[in-house]
Amino acid sequence: MAAPVRRPLLGVARDWRRFEGLWASGLGSRSLALAAAPSSSGSPWRLLGALCLQRPPLVSKPLTPLQEEMAALLQQVEIERSLYSDHELRALSEAQRLAKKKADPYDEEDDERKILLVQDLEDAWEQKFLQFKPGARITADKKNDRTSLQRKLDRNLVLLVKEKLGDQDVWVLPQAEWQPGETLRGTAERTLATLSENNMEAKFLGNAPCGHYKFKFPQAMRTESILGAKVFFFKALLLTGDVSQARKKDSHVWVSKEELGDYLKPKYLAQVRRFLLDL
Amino acid sequence: MGDFENSHVDLAVTSSSYTWLRLLGTWQTQIRDTHQRASLLSFWELIPMRAEPLRKKKKVDPKKDQAVKDRLKKRIRRLEKASQELIPIEDFITPVKFLDEARHRPHMELLFEEGERRALLLKKWSLYKQREHEMERDATRSMLEAQQEALQELRLTSPELHEAATKRDPSLFPFERKGPDYTPPVSNYQPPEGRYHDITKVYTQVEFKR
Repeated sequence: MAAPVRRPLLGVARDWRRFEGLWASGLGSRSLALAAAPSSSGSPWRLLGALCLQRPPLVSKPLTPLQEEMAALLQQVEIERSLYSDHELRALSEAQRLAKKKADPYDEEDDERKILLVQDLEDAWEQKFLQFKPGARITADKKNDRTSLQRKLDRNLVLLVKEKLGDQDVWVLPQAEWQPGETLRGTAERTLATLSENNMEAKFLGNAPCGHYKFKFPQAMRTESILGAKVFFFKALLLTGDVSQARKKDSHVWVSKEELGDYLKPKYLAQVRRFLLDL
Repeated sequence: MGDFENSHVDLAVTSSSYTWLRLLGTWQTQIRDTHQRASLLSFWELIPMRAEPLRKKKKVDPKKDQAVKDRLKKRIRRLEKASQELIPIEDFITPVKFLDEARHRPHMELLFEEGERRALLLKKWSLYKQREHEMERDATRSMLEAQQEALQELRLTSPELHEAATKRDPSLFPFERKGPDYTPPVSNYQPPEGRYHDITKVYTQVEFKR
């Protein structure tokens, strides 16, 4: 093979050097086609762009016992180091007055007017607080409905869908085939649009993929030119919306990181777990 | 010299004949505007002895006036700037009511067991936080490694896609998101009625351009 020509024919020189690099890398199982075009036309790997759609937590996690102890200690120390507030001063002075009144009951006669005691104020505040009904922290968890977005409000949830690979049904992150003319992030956005029929809004975290997975097809699916596929994952945070209702009942699921193992294949799972942050 | 008409004026001249000629010439021009002059007989009014070449109107004058005005304005601005107060930082000013002696709590001596419990809890807490930090560090490292491997794989697959992936995304920042609260939002919440009176003190400092 001719050595790369050291003239300013940059395009040709670059392509030749690139192919030398490709041969040197240990991808021995592939049969390379000697073309200078993007590899999807020549290489045996199909390109897929996948979407790692996460629903961020709406509610904070419950505190562990150690955290609760520490929180109580910090609160105690803060009270010890503080000054008396107006409310506390008022309480102290009222306590003193009541004690004095008990000692000599006929000394002062200025309680014809109703004095609002500190205790009354506190009771009133307590009542007002009890009237407010906050939202429930545990909602769809009771039914254990894994397709609902309201489950596990304190965790990150990832969307999984069921796809057909050959004749098997496989749970994967939603993916779509790359088409020439778009970037891989564009493929991921297209996946999002087809899943939700433009209902969902998500914020993509950058142009770069967060992980990849390379696999060979089962023997039934392999053709002469296609050996397997490479999937590149892109992270996105769900802002609004949900998967469209037109999908079949069991074909999508929102899971947290521990439950991924119930659905994904081992090697796929291993790759996906690397880039999912465990809260 | 010739004869002159209307020469009823007797000119007493003692200089040379040329001067006599000039004077006579000017005398003739003076006769032209006799209807405009105040006194017809005055001599010194006839001769413009104080004449100078005409002064041109100086164009630098308006500039000088402008310069004087600017200097005055600058002086006024400097005085105003000097008399401005600094904007007070309200957090650093202790309100006077908290300097009261009656507000101090009585000093409670800590029991021995309570002190021991606190020390033990702090040690456990620091160990817990160290473990948590290490877990976070490992998670971040594994995420970065996964991303680097993916980018490497992409570069081997297709350089154009790799280039598109390593471009900056201008729409990523500014990114704002509200964090998790203790309870989720209530769907049919009715906020209490009333007006919102904002009583924050706003201090202004005028910006003076140089």
